[in-house]
Amino acid sequence: MLPTLVRRSATARKPLIHFIGKRQWPAHTDAPHPHPYAPAEIKQAFGEFTSKSASSAAPSQSAPSSSKSGSGVQAYEEFWYAPERLWRHTIDEVEIDAILSGGATAAKS
Amino acid sequence: MLQLQRASQRSAARALARAARWQAARGYASSSEPYDAIIIGGGPGGYVAAIKAAQQGLKTACIEKRGALGGTCLNVGCIPSKAMLNNSHMYHQAQHDMKRRGIDVDGVSLNLPVMLKAKTDAVTGLTKGIEVLFKQNKVDYIKGTASFVSPTKISVQLNDGGSTEVEAKNIIIATGSEVAPFPGGAIEIDETQIVSSTGALDLQEVPKKLVVIGGGIIGLEMGSVWSRLGSQVTVVEFLGSIGGAGIDEEISKQFQRSLSKQGLKFLLNTKVISADKRDGKVYVKTEAAKGGKEEELEADVVLVAVGRRPVTTGLNLDKIGVEVDNKGRIIIDDQFTTSVSNIKCIGDVTFGPMLAHKAEEEGIAAVEYIKSGHGHVNYAAIPSVVYTHPEVAWVGKTEQELKKEGVQYKVGKFPFAANSRAKTNLDTEGQVKFLAEKETDRILGVHIIGPNAGEMIGEAVLAIEYGASSEDVARTTHAHPTLSEAFKEAAMATYDKPIHF
Repeated sequence: MLPTLVRRSATARKPLIHFIGKRQWPAHTDAPHPHPYAPAEIKQAFGEFTSKSASSAAPSQSAPSSSKSGSGVQAYEEFWYAPERLWRHTIDEVEIDAILSGGATAAKS
Repeated sequence: MLQLQRASQRSAARALARAARWQAARGYASSSEPYDAIIIGGGPGGYVAAIKAAQQGLKTACIEKRGALGGTCLNVGCIPSKAMLNNSHMYHQAQHDMKRRGIDVDGVSLNLPVMLKAKTDAVTGLTKGIEVLFKQNKVDYIKGTASFVSPTKISVQLNDGGSTEVEAKNIIIATGSEVAPFPGGAIEIDETQIVSSTGALDLQEVPKKLVVIGGGIIGLEMGSVWSRLGSQVTVVEFLGSIGGAGIDEEISKQFQRSLSKQGLKFLLNTKVISADKRDGKVYVKTEAAKGGKEEELEADVVLVAVGRRPVTTGLNLDKIGVEVDNKGRIIIDDQFTTSVSNIKCIGDVTFGPMLAHKAEEEGIAAVEYIKSGHGHVNYAAIPSVVYTHPEVAWVGKTEQELKKEGVQYKVGKFPFAANSRAKTNLDTEGQVKFLAEKETDRILGVHIIGPNAGEMIGEAVLAIEYGASSEDVARTTHAHPTLSEAFKEAAMATYDKPIHF
């Protein structure tokens, strides 16, 4: 008994449906196109739409009401709102002494 | 030196401030760190997108105002209507069908409160199930109403009172649709006597006479339910055929014949002018679509099923520059991006048919676009199903569309009356109809009316999605005896000849 694949290659008929395998996306992203169900007038004015969408990516334009964090770039009101790895950790001996002595050691040196 | 002094003062002050504000900041820890993706709307589009996003490793939140996940579909649409369709069908069979199968049942009666409760239980079980899925996938579920502050910031009016602000790099709008009011505003929905699909799923007694305005899928399904439970149902449709957009004309006619046999009355090419409430009844005034010939229909309940419209109220779209078209749908490109680049939109609130499974596909694709820049929805292979009895299902092109496009095509049909399993089930109404391109035999459309059509259409969708020919389907073994053999034989009829007909 021959497996289906072998038998198929031996016969003339080639099925229209075929095995695609695991999907591989290309490395580059596709350019946007009009949505297939968009009405005709929107499809026609698609260039206008993409330019709007593209310009909205600029943070200064996209967030007129908020002073910080437009899109993508994250800004923090205070440093301790940021993840801890971004905090300033190194503190030298002189500074520690200055703090502990109420600034007296700093004045001395 | 002076500098150092200032520095140390600053750092001392900072340490104090840190200590003082740490407690306060802790409470809002999550709100300070932005999400990778926020999905507005927890319907079949939104919740699927949220779970997919979380599975892709994105920090995700889903905002839903209903108080239950699942959207229209799960709460007041697909799911409760299927519960009512299934159970009303059983009731109808117990009354009219079991006798010929050799089952004598006496004293069959309807317990509507229990039937409604069974429906509610199914709904609650499923919506709670999604909450569990959210927890398992670590999706933050925010119960409240969203409104944009900026393209990346959303303020949420919480259902429990108060409000919060959340931030995200990417936002997907999936706010869905609502029942469209009767055009012109002549008929006001009160959800008791004049109902939408929502009210029609929760009538507390069986109306003697039910008038359904609109012969689309929702109207026919709800009409079927109440007809089986004892209502006299009249369906008024403006167009010349029933079944809604995209149904094949031949199937639509056969469908109308089937439903008429079950007792539903149809007034096609008929316009509804008004519905007036008088003495506990509703009087629906109609006239022929082309004018003239007025008529008045008496009803206990009127169902308005004339379509749905997108919901964007309160989102503040104009403030952030997300554009909508003249029908209120959010404008997107084929990657679901709106006129604001970090905001995507899927489902009923944008272009395309208002179907839960279409929204789901879009939800997954939108997340994949966010994650990898690639996604996939094939709009040529989206099935439609009407869950009446017999069921009606289709995918791809209709005969009328192919004629209009000038495509050369072949037709292959197989009736369920010639299918062994349909015969043994005493359920032989309907047929499977294939449309394939003449030259290549590639399947272009499949239209089914008959038992199990909704499940059977899956095979047709697969065939169309991957470009199968009718011969490919016909040469695939289908188990005997099953209803799916009718599908195979219709494929045989398309490229050659069926065996059993």
